[in-house]
Amino acid sequence: MKVRLSPDRIEDVAVASATVEDVLLMLGINPIEVIVSRNGALIPEDTMVGGADELRVVRFVHGG
Amino acid sequence: MAGETGRCSCPGCTEPPIAVLRGSGERLCTRHFTASVECRVRETVEGGGMVRDGDIVAVGLSGGKDSTVLLHILSRILLDCPVRIVAVTVDEGIAGYRKETIRAARSIAAVLGVEHIVVSFEELCGRTLDALVGELPMHPCTICGVLRRRVLQTAAGNIGAARLATGHCLDDEAQSALMNVLNGDLGRIARTGIPDAGVLVPRIKPLRSIPEKEVTLYGIVQEIYTPLPECPYAGEALRSDVRGFLSTLEYRRAGTMTRLMAGYDRLRARVGGCAGAGRVSCPECGGPSTGGRCRVCELLGQAGRR
Ligand SMILES: [Zn+2]
Ligand SMILES: [Zn+2]
Repeated sequence: MKVRLSPDRIEDVAVASATVEDVLLMLGINPIEVIVSRNGALIPEDTMVGGADELRVVRFVHGG
Repeated sequence: MAGETGRCSCPGCTEPPIAVLRGSGERLCTRHFTASVECRVRETVEGGGMVRDGDIVAVGLSGGKDSTVLLHILSRILLDCPVRIVAVTVDEGIAGYRKETIRAARSIAAVLGVEHIVVSFEELCGRTLDALVGELPMHPCTICGVLRRRVLQTAAGNIGAARLATGHCLDDEAQSALMNVLNGDLGRIARTGIPDAGVLVPRIKPLRSIPEKEVTLYGIVQEIYTPLPECPYAGEALRSDVRGFLSTLEYRRAGTMTRLMAGYDRLRARVGGCAGAGRVSCPECGGPSTGGRCRVCELLGQAGRR
């Protein structure tokens, strides 16, 4: 499963099936600090993902 | 494999959820998530008696995500109220950063059909932040914070605003509360117990109960979230430590930030205005001060001497 963390950082995470939350924790990311979409659609952290899914992780900058 | 996303928690709704609310555990679709955020902001505004009919409400609009979401929500929930909203953007004078965010601020105000004014440090203080940073020894964010508050107040006062709304969300408020405790800054805690002592235009924070993640998500689903460059002046070190620490705690114990703020608000209400924590007027500019010259006059005086 491809996980896009930023335009120039894509991680390959080998899981058959896991929650978004588990995937984020595997990557050392606090789920509170990011928003995740799968194949372009926003998804909650308890969503099961895996296989050919493509995740995009948006870490929002502080302020404003 | 495309996993099961289930359904929105709202009765009868078959849309896929986009978020789980940490407070209630509800799983909400785009439409119901939007409604939930707007409803909670409305409760904060109405419950706190933040806006009255006939008010002019100045809204601090940096162009960043929180203030953009604030303006968007206020313009929606106050749509049918006899209230005039004026967005106020402060140009601190930060080369290579502010131009783009001011452009974003102008465009969101135009899209929402909200009056918009831009005021600069240069007009009101005679110098840009970039110039002041070279002249003063303190952290840029300290200088910027002191002057931005004053410039916003002055601008809000000039347009006759009854309230000045800022985009502080739950995370910001919890960080500031914990920082005051960690700094042992009892004076500040007691002072902010009477939040508007001495200020020209009372401040309101309609997003104070909404987590930053939900503010951001709201911005994304309303298509008003555009990632902008970060301010070149790195934030205060303590705030970024506290931010990481609080989000770790919030993740392990959901509701930490809300509980912290509930307790902190009660504490502040009890100690508000305790002996020695009052405000007086600055003898030079008449602005709020904790005694003697205010911090704005102190900063600008110090900069002028160098
Ligand atoms: Zn729904
Ligand atoms: Zn003064």
